[in-house]
Amino acid sequence: MSSAASVAGIRFGILSPDLIRKMSVAEIISPDTYDEDGLPIPTSVMDPRLGTLEPGQRCKTCGNTYLGCPGHFGRIELPVPVIHVGFAKTIYELLKSTCRSCGRILLPEDECKKYHAELERLRANNLPFKNLIYKIKQKAMNTQVCPHCGEKQLKLELEKPTSFSEMSESGSTKLNPSTVRARLERIPDEDLVLLDINPQTSRPEWMVLTVLPVPPVYVRPSITLESGYRSEDDLTHKLVDILRVTQRLRENIRAGSPSPVIEELSDLLQYHVTTYFNNEAVGVVPAKHRSGRILKTLAQRLKGKEGRFRLNLSGKRVDFSARTVISPDPNIRVNEVGVPLEVAMQLTVAERVTAWNLEKMRMLVRNGSDKYPGAKYIIRPDGKRVRLKFVANLEELATALEPGYVVERHLQDGDIVLFNRQPSLHRMSIMAHYVRVLPYKTLRLNPAVCTPYNADFDGDEMNLHVPQSEEAQTEARELLVVENNIISPRYGAPIIGVIRDFLTSLYLLTRDETKLTKSELAMLLAAIKYKGPIPPPAVKDPEPMWTGKQVFSLLLPKDFNHITKSSFTNTEVVVKNGQLISGVIDKGSVGVEKANSILHRLARDYGPDVARQFLDNVVRLANTFIELKGFSFAVDDLYVPDQIHSDIEQIFKKSENEFSKLLAQYQSGEVEIPPGMTAEQAFEADVLKILSEARDSAGKLIRSRISQNSSAFIMAKTGARGTMLNLDQMIAVVGQQSVRRERVHRGYRRRVLSFFKQDDLSPRARGFVYNSFVSGLDPLEFFFHAVGGRDGLVDTAVRTQQSGYMQRRLINALESLYIDYDGTVRTADEGRIIQFAYGEDGVDPAKSDHGKAVTVSNIVNSVLATTPSGKPATQEYIEQKLQQASQRLNKKILEELRAELGKTNPPREAVDKIVEEVVSKYNASLAEPGDAVGVVTAQSIGEPGTQLTLRTFHFAGVGEQSILKGLPRLIEIVDARRTPTTPIMYIPLTPEYASNLAKARKLAKQIQHTTIGDLISEMLVNYKRGTLEVQLDAKSLEEHGVTKRDIEKALKGVEAEYDEEKRVISVKLDEEGLMDIARVRERISSIKVKGIRRIKKATVFKEKDEYVIRTEGSNLREVMEVPGVDWRRVKTNDIYEIAEVFGIEAARNAIVEEAKAVLEDQGLDVDIRHLLLLADMMTVSGSVKQIGRHGVVKLKSSVLARAAYEISVQTLLEAAARGEVDSLKGNVERILIGREIQVGTGMVTLLMSHEKGE
Amino acid sequence: MVKKEKTVEKEVVDITEHVLVPKHEVLSPEEAEELLRRYGVSRDKLPYIHPSDPMVKRLKAKTGDIIKITRRSETAGEAVYYRVVWGE
Repeated sequence: MSSAASVAGIRFGILSPDLIRKMSVAEIISPDTYDEDGLPIPTSVMDPRLGTLEPGQRCKTCGNTYLGCPGHFGRIELPVPVIHVGFAKTIYELLKSTCRSCGRILLPEDECKKYHAELERLRANNLPFKNLIYKIKQKAMNTQVCPHCGEKQLKLELEKPTSFSEMSESGSTKLNPSTVRARLERIPDEDLVLLDINPQTSRPEWMVLTVLPVPPVYVRPSITLESGYRSEDDLTHKLVDILRVTQRLRENIRAGSPSPVIEELSDLLQYHVTTYFNNEAVGVVPAKHRSGRILKTLAQRLKGKEGRFRLNLSGKRVDFSARTVISPDPNIRVNEVGVPLEVAMQLTVAERVTAWNLEKMRMLVRNGSDKYPGAKYIIRPDGKRVRLKFVANLEELATALEPGYVVERHLQDGDIVLFNRQPSLHRMSIMAHYVRVLPYKTLRLNPAVCTPYNADFDGDEMNLHVPQSEEAQTEARELLVVENNIISPRYGAPIIGVIRDFLTSLYLLTRDETKLTKSELAMLLAAIKYKGPIPPPAVKDPEPMWTGKQVFSLLLPKDFNHITKSSFTNTEVVVKNGQLISGVIDKGSVGVEKANSILHRLARDYGPDVARQFLDNVVRLANTFIELKGFSFAVDDLYVPDQIHSDIEQIFKKSENEFSKLLAQYQSGEVEIPPGMTAEQAFEADVLKILSEARDSAGKLIRSRISQNSSAFIMAKTGARGTMLNLDQMIAVVGQQSVRRERVHRGYRRRVLSFFKQDDLSPRARGFVYNSFVSGLDPLEFFFHAVGGRDGLVDTAVRTQQSGYMQRRLINALESLYIDYDGTVRTADEGRIIQFAYGEDGVDPAKSDHGKAVTVSNIVNSVLATTPSGKPATQEYIEQKLQQASQRLNKKILEELRAELGKTNPPREAVDKIVEEVVSKYNASLAEPGDAVGVVTAQSIGEPGTQLTLRTFHFAGVGEQSILKGLPRLIEIVDARRTPTTPIMYIPLTPEYASNLAKARKLAKQIQHTTIGDLISEMLVNYKRGTLEVQLDAKSLEEHGVTKRDIEKALKGVEAEYDEEKRVISVKLDEEGLMDIARVRERISSIKVKGIRRIKKATVFKEKDEYVIRTEGSNLREVMEVPGVDWRRVKTNDIYEIAEVFGIEAARNAIVEEAKAVLEDQGLDVDIRHLLLLADMMTVSGSVKQIGRHGVVKLKSSVLARAAYEISVQTLLEAAARGEVDSLKGNVERILIGREIQVGTGMVTLLMSHEKGE
Repeated sequence: MVKKEKTVEKEVVDITEHVLVPKHEVLSPEEAEELLRRYGVSRDKLPYIHPSDPMVKRLKAKTGDIIKITRRSETAGEAVYYRVVWGE
């Protein structure tokens, strides 16, 4: 870094009174701040010795102006000691674990020795010792008599926030701070070590203040209002308060006032000092400003999102940036950004004058700051800056220019800048673009890059930053530039691609019927600036015509061969030797998120530059063509024959009939209720089913009859905009409106609106919209639609918040992970190994084919296409080749290669080529050392969070099981909650049971936890016989598979008899029982008949060709013991349970599986490597740790990293008491102090020491 | 607890055979040293596995032992991981 000494670390500690006095330049006494003339009073909190805020004045201490003076501390001598609020709890623990008389720790000498040794050992081995400390503290605190001096200990209590009292037989006595301080002073240094306090940095008596440091004025500047009044900072107010009380207290002490007066004043002082430190301390009334506003004191300044750490230290304001509204421009390249001239004249780049650019630089200086292209400043070799705006003779300056000068010139075409749109959810939210200075006032971007930024043009604004140093510019050009980010590391497929109208256009262009005249062709070729021979026309008579496919083919490399799928018809798109042979171009081949598309292959096989150029041209071509051809959308595009509409009406007639039938059944109570549901739920589910079936068949009708040339249809099918569902809603029927995934039912009593009869359950009354958007909604439908719309809006708002917080936690937990030179994934701060190979195979998903390092079949096909066919190679030859390659490939690819070679039987030559190609492609797809894989993982899981559904207690199947899914479940997984909200088990059975439904059912009943309460139909007290008669329900008995023996067994140990005939249990009631029948009932109901604890329900499912049991509730250990259960495959979603029974490795696998299941279920594509890294990070410590303040972040050794995340103040205070040292190795700490982070390009260091010359 | 079916013979549950549990083996002291040298780290920088972990108990490994774990991998076919027996 810099040549001067740099900060090696930061040690935290507590200021001792001596140090405070030494630091202090002035004792502050006077509570008044200014005299009548408005001058600061010496010895007041505005004492000029503390520094000066006035531009003209010089500091009384150091003689500097306010620019150079660092500020100086003063002090307030407190007449009585005052307890520091932040340390109150520490003091409490210290007092409790040490003797009140001799001050020694309340442990016998030999135990002390033992613990010292143990602590020493743990520290030396870098092992966690928190638990040991806790044990020591507990033991000491529970000792009643001092083993050293024999003093009996009294019970001590902490009254929040700062008062301590001792309980003796005679009652409780308050300990005043002086007593507390005296006791703390007595604790010897050796004993403090056992209590996790570093006596060198933090003697406990320093936690009771005798002198208070007064921060320099720069920390609490006063503002002069327009009216001329001064407004002081909150801290200044608080200090004045303290001074006032100090003064009164001192006077009273001097006057020998009675002790109650003194005590009261002491308490007041304590209050002011407490609120000075923390105005939100528990048990204190917050100090308020005159206006009633709560003061922001020291703790509040650090804390939270608006606090120092997160607002000013983790993120800083920057120069050389611009922000304005964005708009699209398909005519600029994807890696360019259009910058308004006005902006370009404000932003500057420092360019060093050399012999080669001298004339150009002179021209810029001559133009000055108001004429473009010009310059704003020059920096002379002596370091002096000249602002060109106010220079009269620019010509003179220009001539004086010579190599060694630096010119800060206007932004020009070709400069590299960073472009960003918030929220920056993944790394593609900030990319480097080349500048194009353009007229008008918006920032312009190519529509193809909208996807990574998640930008549209409805008023979005974006930010632009100009990297100043050569290093930064180079890094931007090499790593951040758009073309190097075409493939997303989240799913290994393009995230930059053709969108919207351009897709429509490409479809129209490349479909078979499109023929272009010569002039049309010329226009298109001019648009892409095509230079080369014009292909022969496809049609010659009557005039020469070209197909759109021919034009598109001009954009492809001549040797490009590929087959992919189109999204329009789901048929093959064939490219042979750079010619589009068949199929249409649409989202499937050039769009985003499509793996193995034409765009993807170009980016992977021909490199980013070719892919970028292809995109540039495609967008421009599509734009020109659609301008030429014209494309519009109107009601006519939604036309279907009238017949269809009456058919739809028929469909709804039918569904209404079905509904009436269902309603009749429901009202007569005949509706079949699946287990675990109420009749109402079952009915609702059935209604929804009927309605959605009706909706679907209406939709189907539309889809089959709408014109293939309808604009709406084209847009939906090509993936340009809209879905087929939108078409259904516009033409056929809008369908069910829902609130929280249920039919709308809230509103008036027993009805939604007063237009309905009460308890009207009909589709119309519960929010089914029969009209289509074209036919128009009636007022009631319109209302329901608005209700449903509002629910959606609320859902989105809540979801963004939740997923945003999840992302923050993920980033914080994983931020320090990087790939080291040896391929291991390590933490930057402590150098701990998290993975031995990134993603287990070391492959970067951003350099992969949808997660696969190489697609062997692609390589085989392309090699076979280029090599002449010959005699197939022998099996032995292939094996030998594979053997050679086995060192350099992983098992999976090797197997794939073997299979492909076996299938295609290539000649020797081809085998050689294929193997070589596979190895080289594999090596090319490996992640590079320095890659910040942790952040990428956090982003890849966090970014799609907003797309996850919220509030999904999803019902799998026909309402059998409710499982927590979507975002809440994902949060639950990363939270590592003790038990899942919906514990579930998956129990496969041994073959004997798996093939036999009856046996499987029996087993399920055997597993399901059943109590007598589950079987009861009624309970009566027979006073004549003095018994409680419990009538069991025949149906329930059968359902639960309970036999007479089960019940008799369960009733053992209870005075009861079972009559099987009548199914009655008679429980003898003793006198006590008769008095409290409710209790007896409770007791009988809770008797377990059979099953396994916590398994609330067990149901048999057919899965593939075997029967399995799924349960609600989880109890791994006991279920595994059940005969007939295939325990080798039993699973649960309770990760802690897995960790307990199978160990940490199984828990890791379970985390991966659970997270994968959530994302897959929601249809989100996230590379498995990210989940692996997440799971490995959560389990490095040997137990499952949460992603958040109690888990992974707490494990961080750096104080600052923890403080910057959450609970800043407490973290810092603890660090101070323990005398922790922050060695500033992690990323967070380094950003806080403004240093380069040791990840990525910042990781490079010299291994050789220049001093020793080794 | 659960009523035992007479027809089915009760199997002894062996957690190592469960699908979620990968292969664990203890490295010999030489192998352990070689591993630490290869990665240039001390033991405390490796991922941990608690002495109370069921698999550690089965292997009767002691604190400081390094356990080699051979995972089935979706990406690489097979992947090797190491954990050191460490912590409380």
